[in-house]
Amino acid sequence: MKKIVALMMILALFPLTLGAGSYIYSYWEHAMHSAPGLAFEASINAEGLGANLVSPEDLVVYEDSVYIVDSKADSLVIIDEDFDLKHEWTEFVMTDAYRERTGTDMGTVLTLNGPYGVDVTVNGIFIADTSNNRIVKLNHDFEVVDVFGEIDDPTFDEIKFEPKKITVDPTNRMYVVARNIYEGIMEINSDGTFNRYTGVNPIELTPFEIFSRSLMTEEQIEQMQLFLPTEYTNVTIDDRNFIYATSRVSENNPENPIQLINPKGVDVIKRNGYYPPMGDIQYVEGDNSYVVEGPSTLVDIAYTHDGIYTVLDRKRSRLFTYDSEGYLLYIDGEEGKQIDRFSEGVALDYFGDNLLVLDRGTTTIVVYGHTEFGAYVNEAIHYHNIGEFDKAAEVWEKVIKINSNYEIAYNGIGKMLLREGQYKEAMEYFEMGYDQYYYSKAFQEYRNGIIKANFVWIISGLVLFAGFLIGRKIYKVYKQGGTILYDD
Amino acid sequence: MMIKLKKIYHDFIRFPSYILFHPFDGYEEFKRYKKGKLSVAIVFIVLFVYYQIFRFRNLGFLVNNNNPLELNSLEEFFTVFLLIFLFTVGNWSVTTLMQGKGTYKEILMMTGYSLFPLLLFGFMGTVLSNFLTLDEMGFYHLMMYLAYALTGWMIFMGVLNIHEYGLGKTILSFIATFVSVSVMMFVGLLFFDLIQQIIAFVVSIVNEFNLRY
Repeated sequence: MKKIVALMMILALFPLTLGAGSYIYSYWEHAMHSAPGLAFEASINAEGLGANLVSPEDLVVYEDSVYIVDSKADSLVIIDEDFDLKHEWTEFVMTDAYRERTGTDMGTVLTLNGPYGVDVTVNGIFIADTSNNRIVKLNHDFEVVDVFGEIDDPTFDEIKFEPKKITVDPTNRMYVVARNIYEGIMEINSDGTFNRYTGVNPIELTPFEIFSRSLMTEEQIEQMQLFLPTEYTNVTIDDRNFIYATSRVSENNPENPIQLINPKGVDVIKRNGYYPPMGDIQYVEGDNSYVVEGPSTLVDIAYTHDGIYTVLDRKRSRLFTYDSEGYLLYIDGEEGKQIDRFSEGVALDYFGDNLLVLDRGTTTIVVYGHTEFGAYVNEAIHYHNIGEFDKAAEVWEKVIKINSNYEIAYNGIGKMLLREGQYKEAMEYFEMGYDQYYYSKAFQEYRNGIIKANFVWIISGLVLFAGFLIGRKIYKVYKQGGTILYDD
Repeated sequence: MMIKLKKIYHDFIRFPSYILFHPFDGYEEFKRYKKGKLSVAIVFIVLFVYYQIFRFRNLGFLVNNNNPLELNSLEEFFTVFLLIFLFTVGNWSVTTLMQGKGTYKEILMMTGYSLFPLLLFGFMGTVLSNFLTLDEMGFYHLMMYLAYALTGWMIFMGVLNIHEYGLGKTILSFIATFVSVSVMMFVGLLFFDLIQQIIAFVVSIVNEFNLRY
C-alpha cells in the first residue's frame, strides 16, 4: 500500500519537476511551486564574443574579469565586465627568472594541452593543464612563473597526475582535484611539493559486509563492484579559506555530495535544513527511458556572501542555492537549447550579484540575475547574519507576500518575535516553518510565563487537593471508630 | 447507575491492571473463571485504532512527524485489524499443533487485553507531549518505551498462561507464530498477484472480443 502511494506521489510530481516554472521542496519533501530566485539576464556566446571557444571547461571570476579555459582550443580567454573579449591566450612567454632556473632559451613559449581548471588570485593565475600533467602558474602579465608537474607521492608511480580542478588560497597553497584520485583533494604547497590529501572520506563497511567478504575467494571479491570513496568533482575556496567541494554521489554516501572542508580537513557543512543539501531529493531510481533518473550530479559550486552558495547540477541543468544552515533557498535553471537555458553546464561563478553559468555544449555563458524574490531572500539572510533580526523580519514579510509557501521566511519572522518576547506568536510562526528547535524555545518561555503568572493559584490548588485527600482519610478513620492520634 | 459505572471500572481498568501486575493469577482467573470478556477485548482493539488516528493529529508538534495530509483513517483501521488477525490466527494455528490449551477466542481476548498499557500510556503520553519542550521529551519517549514493553510482557505472559506452556515452549511458539505469519503473508500476496493476473487475462479476452465483433 505504502509503495503504491509513494509511486503515485512520485508520478504526481512529474509535471511539476519536468515542466516549466520553479519549485522548491517543502518540509514534507514534496515539490511545490515557488517563485524563481534567479532569472535570465543575458547570454554571451562564442561568436558574439569573437573568441574561439570549442569546449570551455572552467570559468572563474577575479575582480572585473572572467577567466575561461578551453580544453580543445587549449586557450585561456579573459572577458571584461561588459562581457567583451579582453584577451585570448594560447601561448605564454616565460619570465626571466623561470627561464634562468630551468635553462630554457629565450623565446620559448609554453602551450597548454587540454586544460580543465583555472583559478585566479592576487598572486597569479593557476591553470590545471590536464593533458600535460602539470599546473601552470602565471603572473597577471600572463607570463609563466612556475610549473608544477612532479608530485612526490607513491600513488603517481602507477598513474599519471592529471589535475582537473584547482583552487588556491592566499598563501599560494593549491587544492587540486585530479583524475582517478580517490584519496581526497590534493593539497600542494606553494613550492609544488605534495603535502597531503584533505577531505578524505574513509569507506565504512558494515559488519555484514566484512563478514561476507571474509568468506569470499579472491576472484569473487574482484568481481564485486569496487568500493571507491568519494570522487570530488570541483573545489572552490571561500574568504575564510574553507573549501567548498562537490563530489559525485556514490552508493556509500548518497546524501553528502556537497562538503565544506575546514583547514583541518574535516567536513563542517551544516545540514540543519529540512533535508541535507544534495540537489534534487525526489528522483526516479533505476533505468527508464522517459525521465532522467538518479540523484543530481553536482559539478560546480559557487560561494557568494553570508554563507549562501549555489551548486550546479549537470544532469538536469539546475541551480540549487543554499544558505549557511543548509536550507534550500531556491531552485532555478532549465535544460534546453534556447537562449535562456543551458544544456551542459560545467562551471558557475558569481560575478557581483550575477551568476554566470558556462555551457560547454553551446559554448555559451548564461548570465542570471536575482529576481525580486531572490534579492529579498539574500537580503534577509544578510540581515539575519549580522544580527539585525527586525530588519530581516521586515524583508521576510515581503518574501511571504511573493510566496506564502516559503517556510524559511516564517522561521525568520518567528526568530524576531522570539527576541521581542512575543512567544505565542513566535510559536505560530515556527509551527508554519516547521522549526522544532526554536518552537521548543518559544514554547518553554511561553509555558514558564503562564506558570509564573499563576503560581499562587497552582500551588494553592495543589495544597487544597492534598488537604482534601488527607481530610477525607481522617474523616473515614473517625467514622469507623478509629483515631489518628498515636496511642499504645 | 453507580453499580454499572463500578462494573465498567472493574472490567476496563481494575481487571486488566490486575493481569498486568499478577500475570499468573490474572490469566488464571481470565481463563478458568471466565473473567475475561470478549466485549472488553474488542473495545480495546477499537480504542487502539482510535489511538493511532488520535496520535496522528494530536501528538505534540515537537515529536509529531506525520504529514496531516497523509492521514488515512481506513488505512490505520485495516493495518491494526490485519496485524491482530495475522497474529491471532498464526498463534492459534501453531499452538493447536503444539498442544496449546487456548482457544481462538481466548487468544483474541488475550491480545485485546494486552493493549491495555499501550492505550493507557499512549493517550496520556499524547496529551503530555503537548506540554513538553524538546529537552523534556525524554519523559514522553520513556513512557512510550514502557508502554510497548508492558504490552509485550502481557502478550508473552498471556501466551504462556493461556496455552499452559513453559518458558522454552512459549519462546518457541512465538518463533513459530512469526514463521506462520510470514507464510500467511506470502500466500496472501501470491493469491492477490495471481487473481490480478487472472483479471487482467479475462479483461484482455473481453477486450479482444469487443474489438473483433
